[in-house]
Amino acid sequence: MTPVRPDSVLNALTSACGPGFARPATPQESVGGVEARWLVTPGTTEEAASVLRVAAEHRLAVVARGAGTKLDWGATPAAVDVILDTGRLTGVSWHAPGDLVATVGAGTPLRSLQAVLEPAGQRLALDPGSASAGATVGGVLGAGEAGPLRLRFGIGRDLLIGVEFIRADGVVAHAGGRVVKNVAGYDLGKLLCGSFGTLGVITSATFRLHPLPARRAWVCRSVWSPLEVHDLLNDVVMSSVVPTGIEIDLPVAHLPPVARQRGAEAPRGPGMIAVLLEGTHDGVAIRSSIMQKLLGGDASTGDYAPPWWGRYPFGPDDVALKLAVPVQDLHAAIYALRDAAGVPVPIRGSAGVGVVHAALPGTISPDEVTAVLNAVRGALVTRGGSCVVLAAPARIRPKLDLWGPVPGMNIMRRVKEQFDPFRLLSPGRFVGGL
Amino acid sequence: MSLRDLTDTCVHCGFCLPSCPTYQLWGEEMDSPRGRIHLLSQLLDGAPTSSTVVGHFDACLGCLACVTACPSGVRYDEIIAEARVLVESTARRPLADRLVRAGMFALFPYPRRLRLSRGLLRFRPDPALAARIHPTLGALAALAPPLRRPVRLPPRVRAWGARRAVVGLLTGCVQNAFFSHVSAATARVLAREGCDVIVPRGQSCCGALARHAGRDALARRSARRLAATFARAGVDTVVTDVAGCGSMLKEYESVLGTPVPWRAVDVTEYLVSLGEPLAPRRPVPLTVAYHDACHLAHGQGVRSAPRQLLAGIPSLRVVSPRDPDVCCGSAGVYNLLQPEAAMELGRRKAQSLVDTGAEVVVAGNPGCLLQLDAALKELVGARAPRTMHTVELLDLAMRQG
Amino acid sequence: MPPLATLADRLRTALGTDAVITDEAARRTYDCDGLTHYKVTPAVVVLPVDAEGVAATVRLCREYEVPFVARGSGTGLSGGALPRSDGVLIVTSRMRRILEVDLGNGRAIVEPGVVNLAISQSVADRGFFYAPDPSSQLVCSIGGNVAENSGGAHCVKYGFTVHHVTGVELCTPDGDLVWIGTPMAAEAPGYDLVGVVVGSEGTLGIATKVAVRLLRSPQAVTTLLAAFRTVAEAGAATSAIIAAGLTPAAAEIMDALAIKAAERAVDCRYPEGAGAVLIVECDGPTSEVEAEVAAVVRLCREGGAFEIRVAADPTERSEIWRGRKSAFAAVGRISPNYIVQDGVIPRTALAEVLAEIDALAAAAGIGVANVFHAGDGNLHPLVLYDATVPGAYAAAEEVSGAILDLCVSYGGSITGEHGVGVDKAAKLPRMFTEADLDTMQLLRCAFDPGGRANPGKVFPTPRLCGEVPRPRAADDAPPLPPAVEAW
Repeated sequence: MTPVRPDSVLNALTSACGPGFARPATPQESVGGVEARWLVTPGTTEEAASVLRVAAEHRLAVVARGAGTKLDWGATPAAVDVILDTGRLTGVSWHAPGDLVATVGAGTPLRSLQAVLEPAGQRLALDPGSASAGATVGGVLGAGEAGPLRLRFGIGRDLLIGVEFIRADGVVAHAGGRVVKNVAGYDLGKLLCGSFGTLGVITSATFRLHPLPARRAWVCRSVWSPLEVHDLLNDVVMSSVVPTGIEIDLPVAHLPPVARQRGAEAPRGPGMIAVLLEGTHDGVAIRSSIMQKLLGGDASTGDYAPPWWGRYPFGPDDVALKLAVPVQDLHAAIYALRDAAGVPVPIRGSAGVGVVHAALPGTISPDEVTAVLNAVRGALVTRGGSCVVLAAPARIRPKLDLWGPVPGMNIMRRVKEQFDPFRLLSPGRFVGGL
Repeated sequence: MSLRDLTDTCVHCGFCLPSCPTYQLWGEEMDSPRGRIHLLSQLLDGAPTSSTVVGHFDACLGCLACVTACPSGVRYDEIIAEARVLVESTARRPLADRLVRAGMFALFPYPRRLRLSRGLLRFRPDPALAARIHPTLGALAALAPPLRRPVRLPPRVRAWGARRAVVGLLTGCVQNAFFSHVSAATARVLAREGCDVIVPRGQSCCGALARHAGRDALARRSARRLAATFARAGVDTVVTDVAGCGSMLKEYESVLGTPVPWRAVDVTEYLVSLGEPLAPRRPVPLTVAYHDACHLAHGQGVRSAPRQLLAGIPSLRVVSPRDPDVCCGSAGVYNLLQPEAAMELGRRKAQSLVDTGAEVVVAGNPGCLLQLDAALKELVGARAPRTMHTVELLDLAMRQG
Repeated sequence: MPPLATLADRLRTALGTDAVITDEAARRTYDCDGLTHYKVTPAVVVLPVDAEGVAATVRLCREYEVPFVARGSGTGLSGGALPRSDGVLIVTSRMRRILEVDLGNGRAIVEPGVVNLAISQSVADRGFFYAPDPSSQLVCSIGGNVAENSGGAHCVKYGFTVHHVTGVELCTPDGDLVWIGTPMAAEAPGYDLVGVVVGSEGTLGIATKVAVRLLRSPQAVTTLLAAFRTVAEAGAATSAIIAAGLTPAAAEIMDALAIKAAERAVDCRYPEGAGAVLIVECDGPTSEVEAEVAAVVRLCREGGAFEIRVAADPTERSEIWRGRKSAFAAVGRISPNYIVQDGVIPRTALAEVLAEIDALAAAAGIGVANVFHAGDGNLHPLVLYDATVPGAYAAAEEVSGAILDLCVSYGGSITGEHGVGVDKAAKLPRMFTEADLDTMQLLRCAFDPGGRANPGKVFPTPRLCGEVPRPRAADDAPPLPPAVEAW
């Protein structure tokens, strides 16, 4: 491959985006520890498409960036030439309140979108952990991120009804549409969700919206152990109260498993289970009191979420894990993780769907992490659960199997080959080195 | 409507599939009502009546569950009847089949010949052995009813107490030879409910068996004779206790193409229509499972009347098996001609009846009772619930009232 | 056809003689599904009893280079199961076991021939149900639902099949059995292959096992029927209900012609003089349902409803639904033939679009009965005609097509739930550009480079995989070179 002349690339990128919106990257502008060479900020879909055409022509690796909240997620990229910043692909281009549908630029921060929808009494029922840090719609979709609302409303792919994206060869493509019921053609939007930017660059997304509830209440109860959570979870799930979210927070504490505590006199456990109920004022009041009785112990109802609600338990320097397991096996998975880790492991997440996050300290050695992963994955394999390393410090990352077994990997490889045969889009960051 | 018009009403929606016993057994389109209609269209278009096609029509039970299920109102009952005629007139069956069928139709529709053949039942051949000669003979041996002393009904059974109606009673063919006790129970029950019951002598077969086998000429002949017999008897209502016969009698006008001076009713719907019951019922502390005979439920739409009558018996608990709309496999002489399919259906129905925990199974059709008897004994042996006709149970309840 | 004759023998060896149909009359009974306008007799029909049988069949198709088409109960309305005369029809009706039910995790694993309603029926007594409820649910198969991403009346609240399937054992077009997604957990790492396979109309492979979500049955369900003088009023009332932030479990409208058909078929006794009826069902916790129903009743009254019936018990509830559920088939009683159309529009455009449909119908002198999922703008116009009248079908087709164009012009879709199949492949370019369709083809090439899985469906001019315009991977995509030093 002939080496590229940097200035000819820069010229081409500047032609694509306009003067001032394409420049060499600074040393701090990196993805997963790999420094980029150029940074572009296209203002329209057409400009973004031009960028990708330039990249295709010069065989440059492109990584899209929104607010950069998850740039260090995934495996170390094989290469990063161009960071495509979506900061100008922003704004709600269409909102039909009567139809509960909105189209929004991929670079729009999720919280900005919510702010636009709120006066109309609507919301996008997606509340991932990085939203408060300014995460953009494109990034949330690309990373397959979701929050407590996922119990009732699903995740990004369930709310996405139409998408505009740019292929690796710079061609603009669409799938879906502007109506919720639509089975015309393949739903490529779903494919793009959670694909870590390896199949296309999302420029615009159309979502189905939901009405904002009249009232929200959180019923919280302290818990001691995963086993206790398991029992409570069963009761909550089997009730007819229809919770919107069931989250748990099990912070660091080395305590032996204790049977379920009944009665408010029992000492408060270090962990907490919180159930979100949404609906009418009276309905929520009635259901909260039912839930409180159901949970027992020191359960109480409040109008605000507990401080940990919807926040990740890991920090930027930790090894961030995501477990997705059958709800009934959640406690066993957590025990396996804690036993294997040998260090205290904080756990937090959507117990109601069996998807929780955990944090291992960033100082842990790669061998230790691998041992933990093997132990947990071994415990989960027969029931189809998974344990994924979302993020890890750059120095240990290459030594880890971040994803574990991936069902259908061969098909995924073929899909990638079709969509991005030259591996220009976020190469190497995703499963199987894709 | 021409046969073509009849088949054209089918919009191919497939809603009949779950109700069809043969589709439930085999999962093949050709053995579903939708598929059979398609085959018939092919025949009308000139396709040959191959043995495959014949086989799929023969496999149809004629249970008419699809007629109940069809949202478009397709008259599958008429379609299958015409299809069978077409098949009979154009198909070439293997010799053994032809002999067996000829034998059956030389015997069953003729009450006198049947009565004479009763003696043969004393020699009960082993069903397995008989099946080796021909499956139908095996089925005959397995299903043969126990011999009971035949009851001769007088030409007129008088009403008890005040008379509120005069009706004719169909004594049937197979019914007459082997289930005359049921006819007697019917006569008694009607009499206790204030009816004079006319039982014309020399009644022939109603023609149902022939019609369901596509033997058009024999069916018409039988229908003409029987219609005339009851016309002569001067009754305006003919009561029957055999679901298959009742269904056939109600079709006489379309089969004969002329109006018939009397109307046909099943004994249960007739009793309910009389209004206030006259005869007191004594308590019968049993749990009975009511089995819906296809030609009563699907063929005549009679479902609630029998249940209403049973509900009138004090201390009686009535339950229905799951999947009450699915045929037991009797379907006229289906269980003789398609023994394997019939046995599997019988087994499933027996299981669902046993699962109700009932001590007795009642049904409004002797063919069903024979089939269920055999299937229940096969399934649970000595613990099998007893089977009896709906009207026999009523009779029991009225005896010492 | 000599090659296919040996294929039949090989199939018999692999699956057993009972599973292979070659008799012509028998094969012909499979010549169409619920869409009767197109008929093709398959070369061979097979009825495997398990996943291995499906895989063996698909492998043989690969060996003989013949196409295959999968069929469940054959009730689809877009011709998705229309066979190929040169191919094998793989019928899943004998794969009807419910393999596993795990209520604790809210999952069931079923074979593709399991009837949709059978799933709910098997868990109803324990307080669970399977949400997607197409009108044909007492006969349609889960495998077919997966292929078409079927919806139903309750999808306005609960979503469609893709929202309720977490894992699929897929028989790929090469004949490999691969699990995609995850049966029991909520998600699996990697691309959302389940998300694209559901709704792919059999073009990416055949589902041989399906893991479905089971939901807790709602504590309370209340159904009501509101009668309006005009469809516009009924549509406006629906919009008002949605605008008020309510989330009904179902909101269905039938117009006067559809009501007339239903009366004739099932004697549903809907209020006389109704230009349209709106059926709304609310479900959830009792306290919420009461409030929701009260709000719906108020909005309907304010919207001009002249009669409102609220079902007091399950019997009354099924009475209300009877007319709506019989609607499609009932139309057969007021017209010898009809075309069932399936289009989507933004809900807020309901009144306008229906007025335009009326105009189209009047101009053509053709009757159109309307039944639709008002909650999500999914229309089912039933275009009536008499096939014995020359030119009647063509005229009806034209109106039917014009209605679809109308839907697209309002920013809707050419199909909400019935699929593209053969019926609408020609219309797909109205919704998508060539680039869009080419991009979708990339996916098809990834799964089925040989072009054997239900070819000829969905895409109007399918290209061979080598032809799709994109950079050719002549260099075989090596890892990229390390960053070039600055010059």
